[in-house]
Amino acid sequence: MLSSIPSLTRLVAELGKFPGIGRKTATRLAFYVLQQSDAQAQALMDAIHDVKQNVSYCSRCFHVTEQDPCALCTAMDRDDALLCVVEQPQDLMAIERGHAYRGRYHVLHGVLSPLDGVGPDDLKVDELVERVRRGCVEEVIVATNFSVEGEATALYLSRMLQPLEVKITRLAHGIPMGSDLEYVDEATVGRAIEGRRDI
Amino acid sequence: MFDETPCEAIILRYTNYGEADRIVTLLTREHGVCSAFARNARKSRRRFGGALQPFSRVRVSWQQRRRAGMAQLAEVEFLDGAGALLANLDALALAAYGCELVSALLPEQHPAPEVYQVLDAFLCYLPVAESFPTARLLLELRLLDLAGLLPHIGHCASCWQPLRDEWLLFDARRGGTLCPRCCQDRAGVVVQATTLGSLVRLLRVEHHLFSGIRLSDQTLEQGAVLVQQAVGYSVSHPLKSEQFLDLLDGGHNGVLA
Repeated sequence: MLSSIPSLTRLVAELGKFPGIGRKTATRLAFYVLQQSDAQAQALMDAIHDVKQNVSYCSRCFHVTEQDPCALCTAMDRDDALLCVVEQPQDLMAIERGHAYRGRYHVLHGVLSPLDGVGPDDLKVDELVERVRRGCVEEVIVATNFSVEGEATALYLSRMLQPLEVKITRLAHGIPMGSDLEYVDEATVGRAIEGRRDI
Repeated sequence: MFDETPCEAIILRYTNYGEADRIVTLLTREHGVCSAFARNARKSRRRFGGALQPFSRVRVSWQQRRRAGMAQLAEVEFLDGAGALLANLDALALAAYGCELVSALLPEQHPAPEVYQVLDAFLCYLPVAESFPTARLLLELRLLDLAGLLPHIGHCASCWQPLRDEWLLFDARRGGTLCPRCCQDRAGVVVQATTLGSLVRLLRVEHHLFSGIRLSDQTLEQGAVLVQQAVGYSVSHPLKSEQFLDLLDGGHNGVLA
């Protein structure tokens, strides 16, 4: 049916390449775009174009930015002695939402995954080691996810950074704030018991 | 016909599928290596929690299937996690290798109670391992044996005569150990008869025993070369986790030291 309208077919095909967008959703979105005014459609095109033109990775922390170095790397009120290592830019944003951390960041852009063949050369590990070696970092907080891959990455980073004589810490993990113990899964309860602390 | 009775399983690996789902590779006694669909495994933490992480021992309930296709997980009860493994990078890397090796050597959906016992014992042993190279050699040897892929090591693979010479040659492509009379071209890995004798004796040890086994440097060195050649010959593709093991060994004197 759509094949007789090549422009619409093309838009559906392009939208269908987005993660989580199937053919039906792509078609719905394409018709939504069709119903928009020219100005609205142009705004969408400009936004996509600008993202591709202006956004790149910060040469220091590898977070996404429009200026290099990024605002987080140049902010004067942040502590240079603290460096938080995260897997992805989205993880950095999650930590920023907590408003509890005022140090610098380093984004690895992935995690070590022996079963998937992802090694240190595929991540920003060498850049991290060089940054710690050069800079005035006193503590590295490894904030990779609590998966087997995240833990493997944390252990590997610890091994690489230990000779540089910096304090290496790992995010605490356990029961989420506001949750009922009754509904927390067994693995999380187990790790929370192992990681209990004095009060 | 896939028996959908709840059973115990070890998670070998998972692959994200779509936005919210995962395809999990499991090892069970009843079905051996099998893949299962875990709907909403990424989206809902309450559905499966952290139970689908590799190396976890779990009890799985299967979703009733309406038509043929991949098995689907209904519920997963967490029994044992990889908590202790996560404190040691070498142990974790070797655990990943063990899981990948099981997937690579075993056909899907063939009962594998002994392989389950071996892998379970191996994963429990790694956090307290006295020697990672010994654990690796034992695992490889036992898995090759249980998969029916172990080359001949107790006699000549060509003339079937007992091995009487002190030095012999091993070539997995030609079936295993070759006596000097059957291997005039001298192609293959040189191995001592005493090493082969040790490997044969190791196969008589109960498969779930890893602790308390000490091997000479010679057995470890020659045995590793021999068994790894056999593994390389048996699996259809290079194992990704082996590259990680090599990386750790090369840089930090770890697993294979």
